[in-house]
Amino acid sequence: MRTLCISRWLLGMALILYSVHTRSLRRCLSSVDVHRMEQSFWDIRRALQTKDTFKNITILSSLKNLDSIKPVDVCCVTRHLLTFYRDRVFKDHQETSHKVMREISKIANLFLQMQSTLEQCLPCVPQVHSQCGCSQEATNATRIVQDNYNQLEVSSAALKSLGELDIFLAWIGKNHRETSAA
Amino acid sequence: MLSRLLLLLAALASLSQGSRAHGTELPSPFSVWFEARFFEHILRWTHIPVQSESTYYEVALKKYGNTTWKDIHSCRKVQASSCDLTKFTLDLYRSHGYLARVRAVDNNEYSNWTVTETRFTVDEVILTVGSVTLEVTQDRVFGTIHPPRPQIVPAGDEYEQIFENFRKYMVSVRKIQEEKNTTLTVEQETFSLKVPREMGEFCIKVKPLVETRSNRAEWSEEQCLHLTEQYFTLTNLSIIFTSILILCGALVCLALQHYIRRRPRKLPAVLVFEKPHDFLPVNPVCPETLNTVHILDLDAFRKVSPELKDSVLHGSTDSGFGSGKPSLQTEESQFLLPGSHLQAQGTLGKEELLELRDSCGDNTDSGICLQEPSLHSSMGPAWKQPFGFTSQSQEDNDINLIQSTPGQPKNTQSDSALGHVHILEPGVSEEKDQVTVTSQGYQKQTQWKEGAADPEGHMDKELSLTDDFDPKLRVCLQAELTWPPPALAKGYLKQESQGVTPAPAGTPSRQWSQLTEEWSLLGVVSRDDLSTEGWNFAPKLAPLDYGAAPGGLLDSFDSNLATLPLISSLQVEE
Repeated sequence: MRTLCISRWLLGMALILYSVHTRSLRRCLSSVDVHRMEQSFWDIRRALQTKDTFKNITILSSLKNLDSIKPVDVCCVTRHLLTFYRDRVFKDHQETSHKVMREISKIANLFLQMQSTLEQCLPCVPQVHSQCGCSQEATNATRIVQDNYNQLEVSSAALKSLGELDIFLAWIGKNHRETSAA
Repeated sequence: MLSRLLLLLAALASLSQGSRAHGTELPSPFSVWFEARFFEHILRWTHIPVQSESTYYEVALKKYGNTTWKDIHSCRKVQASSCDLTKFTLDLYRSHGYLARVRAVDNNEYSNWTVTETRFTVDEVILTVGSVTLEVTQDRVFGTIHPPRPQIVPAGDEYEQIFENFRKYMVSVRKIQEEKNTTLTVEQETFSLKVPREMGEFCIKVKPLVETRSNRAEWSEEQCLHLTEQYFTLTNLSIIFTSILILCGALVCLALQHYIRRRPRKLPAVLVFEKPHDFLPVNPVCPETLNTVHILDLDAFRKVSPELKDSVLHGSTDSGFGSGKPSLQTEESQFLLPGSHLQAQGTLGKEELLELRDSCGDNTDSGICLQEPSLHSSMGPAWKQPFGFTSQSQEDNDINLIQSTPGQPKNTQSDSALGHVHILEPGVSEEKDQVTVTSQGYQKQTQWKEGAADPEGHMDKELSLTDDFDPKLRVCLQAELTWPPPALAKGYLKQESQGVTPAPAGTPSRQWSQLTEEWSLLGVVSRDDLSTEGWNFAPKLAPLDYGAAPGGLLDSFDSNLATLPLISSLQVEE
């Protein structure tokens, strides 16, 4: 009887901590930051997408399957994709237009701010933590993105990835607003 | 070797012809783009530069990330430049977008495909409003914004679900006379604006926006309103109605008040004048004292004020007496006929009589008001009014009240302030029969020329005068109110019903005529003042000729007449 009570108490505490943790994740990203990136992207969207010659494939197609995932996975996927763009897309893209380059720089800086915010909400060191709390589904989705990126020529892949920023930002805005509203 | 080369060239030539047959020579549309609104996805393209009447365009659609294009056969129309692909892109708002391409076809010639430059996504949808409803109430305008609701919208994909958060609307108000716009942002589909009445006519339009998106938007159609001063509002009507009710109530109260005041009140008994049965013989001034003879109270004469002895009696100030002396009525001393005076006041109450006595000094009407009967002892000298003399003022046809003090020497009274009145009983010595007349009524007398009148005639008329001078006469102050003045009456003979000293009977008419001749009630009369023009007493007193025969008058005249009180101490002229 005493053991049952203790177990119940521990379960309740775990749930409380989980909800608190989840709520803290919901406040990590604000909609204002996403909207600023969308505005910057809108200015260079035509320039980026017009040059995309591989319109039969998508880089971020797997995100479509991640519309309704757990709040923990949302943070995990977000952090992985932010890292992907910082480490591969922005570095691989070669832009000749100054206007386009300026807007891409704005987006890149906002990505860095978003990434630092997420690390404060959910401290995760991939070297220490294996998945940083990501589920298998989230892990598979991020792996597909990288595989699609690798199938293309680097410049084309980078160009296509920049062209699909609207998909990534829409996904962030949707999933993070939903978790904040909840 | 050579044959192999010839076969290769022929194959190449056939291939090139085949390619030309598939529209490689036909130019492709220059650009293809989507022009979309909420669930109104229109694909547009430009015509090829050289097209014929048989040129048509083929449209194909593909979802972004797919590899298979879908031909849209409904868009194959001759010389078309657009196509509605809404029903083929219903999941636009939940997908990564679509790609579309168009090519021209003419006589089995096909142009190249022209693909849309960007992915057709929700970001390219132009935001609009379905309609705006405006309602004007007093000084505010209430607006309701209706989002677009096309019939093709699938369930769950309404405007509010697609753009769930951060919906806003810009409201623009423009005054027609001015080009200045006032724009405000509202966060809900309902809004209210406070518009001043003097704004007149103005127009409102609305543009939607989503704060977290960069979608383009379009203004709605302008709706114009004209605000005017509404005078007939519910509040104004209620105020007007209440004011009318209050006004009607006040008018009714005033009308009732006026009606109550104007109601004929019953006059006091003392003021009720009974109309004479016979019109002719009634003295219009003092009708009630026709046949009443009052005995004069000599004591009343002693109460005559000293001023009256030496003063000239005056009549009413309003009737213009001959003397410029103030009217007797203004003096406090007044003569009264004691006893009979009270009796005569049948119609008057004693209170009124007393009031009359007290207020006589202030009485400014045409009646003489005498007080203090004791003054008679100090009256001025008596005088005898010669026959035919008028009062000092010829134009003054009023009666002069003459006083005479018994025992005083007879003089012309040239310097007397008051006139004397003495009424003698025919045949009675004037010295003996001193009559104190308290005149409170007066008989108007008129002028007549000296010697022109028949003494007899005058006698008759004078008799009527004596009839008028009935001690029983009441105060005739009100007489002028009830009786019209005689047409020929130009003076006043104030009479009062008092006890008169009895006069000896059998007065001859001749003495009686003398009595009437010497009698003048009002006005200053003195020998010197006597003009050649005589003055008529009763003859012209009233056309209401009493009609009494002289004989009849004589018969009615008894000894009491000789004791009629005089206004002042009378000195009967022998």
